[in-house]
Amino acid sequence: MSAPRRRSSSLLLPTWLVLGVFFLVPLLLMLGISFAQRGVYGGLKPIADLAGYLRSGDFLANYARSFDGIFLKIAWRSLWMAVATTGLCIVVSFPIAYYLALLAPQRWKGLLLGLVVIPFWTSFLIRTYAWMFILRTEGLLNLVLVGSGLLHHPVELLYTQTAVMIGLVYGELPFMILPLYASLEKLDRSLLEAGSDLGAGRVETFRRVTFPLTLPGLAAGIVLVFIPSLGQFVVSDLLGGARSMLLGNLIQNQFAVARNQPFGSALAFELTAIVLLLLLGYAALARRRGGEDLL
Amino acid sequence: MKKIAILMTLALLAVACGGGKGSKPSGKVVNIYIWTNYLPQEVVDEFERRTGIHANVDTFDSNEAVLAKLQSGVAGYDVAVPSDYMLKILIPQGLVQPLDHGRLPHLKNLDPRFLNQKYDPGNGHSVPYLWGTTGIGYDQKKIQPPVDSWAALFEPRHAGRILMLDDQREAFGAALRLMGKSVNEKDPAILRQAAERLKKQKPLVRTYNSSDFANLLAAGDVDLSQGYNGELAEAVAKSSGRLAYVIPKEGGTLWIDNLAIPKGARNLDAAYAFLDFVMLPEIAARIVNHVHYACANRAALPLIDAKIKADPSIYPPQEILKRCELIEDLGETTQLLDQLWTEVKAQ
Amino acid sequence: MTPGRGARRLLAAHTGLVYLFLYAPIAILMVFSFNAARQTAFWEGFTFDWYRRLLDDGLLLHALRNSLEVAGVTTAAAVLLGTPAALALARPAFRGKRATQTLLYLPVIIPEVVLGAALVTFFGAIHWQLSIATVVIAHVVFSVSYVALVVRARLAGIDPALEEAARDLGAGPFETFRRVTLPLALPGIVASALLVFTLSIDDYVITSFVAGVGATTLPLHIYSMLKVGVTPEVNAVSTLLLAVTIVLIAAAHRLLQEKEN
Repeated sequence: MSAPRRRSSSLLLPTWLVLGVFFLVPLLLMLGISFAQRGVYGGLKPIADLAGYLRSGDFLANYARSFDGIFLKIAWRSLWMAVATTGLCIVVSFPIAYYLALLAPQRWKGLLLGLVVIPFWTSFLIRTYAWMFILRTEGLLNLVLVGSGLLHHPVELLYTQTAVMIGLVYGELPFMILPLYASLEKLDRSLLEAGSDLGAGRVETFRRVTFPLTLPGLAAGIVLVFIPSLGQFVVSDLLGGARSMLLGNLIQNQFAVARNQPFGSALAFELTAIVLLLLLGYAALARRRGGEDLL
Repeated sequence: MKKIAILMTLALLAVACGGGKGSKPSGKVVNIYIWTNYLPQEVVDEFERRTGIHANVDTFDSNEAVLAKLQSGVAGYDVAVPSDYMLKILIPQGLVQPLDHGRLPHLKNLDPRFLNQKYDPGNGHSVPYLWGTTGIGYDQKKIQPPVDSWAALFEPRHAGRILMLDDQREAFGAALRLMGKSVNEKDPAILRQAAERLKKQKPLVRTYNSSDFANLLAAGDVDLSQGYNGELAEAVAKSSGRLAYVIPKEGGTLWIDNLAIPKGARNLDAAYAFLDFVMLPEIAARIVNHVHYACANRAALPLIDAKIKADPSIYPPQEILKRCELIEDLGETTQLLDQLWTEVKAQ
Repeated sequence: MTPGRGARRLLAAHTGLVYLFLYAPIAILMVFSFNAARQTAFWEGFTFDWYRRLLDDGLLLHALRNSLEVAGVTTAAAVLLGTPAALALARPAFRGKRATQTLLYLPVIIPEVVLGAALVTFFGAIHWQLSIATVVIAHVVFSVSYVALVVRARLAGIDPALEEAARDLGAGPFETFRRVTLPLALPGIVASALLVFTLSIDDYVITSFVAGVGATTLPLHIYSMLKVGVTPEVNAVSTLLLAVTIVLIAAAHRLLQEKEN
């Protein structure tokens, strides 16, 4: 009995070492820094009296500041953007997932599915750039709209909230289609038939049989789309014109140009906390329904 | 499929290992951190040809980025190019090294008017590189009457057609000048008022950008752009009279960018070699002719393009220079400004 | 109960539109990488110029080399660390199994901004100069989990009776691993290796925090190209990167499917 256990620990030791040193330690360090203050030009302000600093509650200053109106607004903006992105993704993904899982001809299924998987793995940066190229004032969209005479003036879509929305939905779409597809694929057709045998119309069957059975896939998709959307900063930077600051931008900004690592660290942990809470909620839900693994 | 994947990977490896001018590992290297659009690739190549030292060039578009990198202590740059006021911050913090003028024989080529400035007495830690002004570039055909005030960037009728530099000192500078104050204002109350102006302006601004503003103006993505004179002058020259550059009547900023060696630079010899190389008259002239910014090199003047020398945006006359202010370090107030700028951007 | 013909056609049409939405931008990028026009999307003639310029672009090739080096080392390290971890996790419960599982899930869950920020803070604190090594370390941190989880999923599908049979026939633990477990797990290992390689090549966010000077990877280089002004060269580089990724992923997909049958 001791042999397998010994083996397990030696198998896991390298991983624990690497992740321990280069993952856990940095996170703990950042947590510690989130309780410090920034110096005049950046860096850390030396704390003369540690006990007094802790007692006075000053060490929570960064967390307190993050609840200022201005930053709450950013959190709110990030939140509703993530919700809107997720919502749009669901609306767009459900029909296609349904078609692929239940209606597509068998011989095409593999190929069609592969075609959804591919964007899933290509560079997010490049796919965001594609929209920069299309939406610019001298980009393809305006070329087509103005050139064909549909519009007299180019439409300014780049550097707007709309552009960010398009970029986000475009980037996250495959992450919603695939889990929904997986769920629908496993659907027992006989259940659907039973529904109609019992006299339910098509819509009612969908509402009472199909939809509830896809909830695990839907939940997984929501997690896979909502969480990255919440923390992203590339799309809002490139397509938003450095105008609409989201949480991800704010954090990156604090670690770069604004040189306020303590504040940035506090924000980073708050974002992580939100993400972990959401995931714990999802895990609890999944466990209740009989456990469907995230990956 | 698998075979194609393997073949592709091998092909990529072959190309990457064999090709590219920048891949000769001669052992000698210099790591440079400089503004975007500030160092032509041909000059870098010439440096490599003459000295055998390979130059890694990273770019930034704000002084605060330089400060952040040098403060981290692990960025590994041998040469950095901060502006005047940023040097004033870097030197007392010990983030840049004292310079040994003995290793810079071509220092004598520089114009004495740019030497021995307040932010670096005796040029103990830096040598001037290029200098310029910040003003407004705009589309003359679309914007009437001709722009002559910072107010143009704050006017509601230009909503969505304005570009501001993504730079806290320059953005606040515009607001403060409009309020009749100095760009080096330290009074917190006044700074907060300026911040309010910038916050109110934000819905009118299409984008904040410090590296692509000239292209965006030329492409018609914006009609008014706060920007640096060199890149805007280049765009103006290429626009056949459509674009214009102006330093507003309230005054603009004048800045001098300097070459410095960060503390802890590992390739000291290479750094000095680069600094000296750039002060050669023909090299300095090549840089100016390419990037369209004025240099502090007197010996290079005869070699600079006549059109550039005659361009009042690049070599402004005295009465315009008098309107401009050098940005200075704000000391303790820096923290407030960082905070206010974050608030403006977070809006 | 299946949707009527009208609904079916609607769903098919919607599906077609979604595919169009997914691939049109990519196709547009690729097509316009051959456009002779510099600034506008107006078609001014077909040309290979931009690709030719890529070959001359020392900085870009240097970035490409960095990306390949980083991806290669990362993949190797991730596989060497993740495969044993997967083996351990495939075993029945042992002390610390829950903790290990949590540890492996975390790098995948934590937002990239947070991970990047934490790492750059860490390297700064211990005065470890940013370089290509710090990029590799960062990539390995998020890659190990993918290997471990994918291989574990693969191992879960293997009939334990096979390993038992090998042991009954007298094979020692290492030999069982070499002759039974490893070959069966191999498709999972290779597939996860391809995936990790792709993720590493395409990573921007985390790399942007920890890359040192001279360690610019391809995505970082592309990003700085985007900041200074969009030219068709960016299209050309994007097209190449997309093509490589597509081939690698298709290969991984095929591999996993092949071995299923």
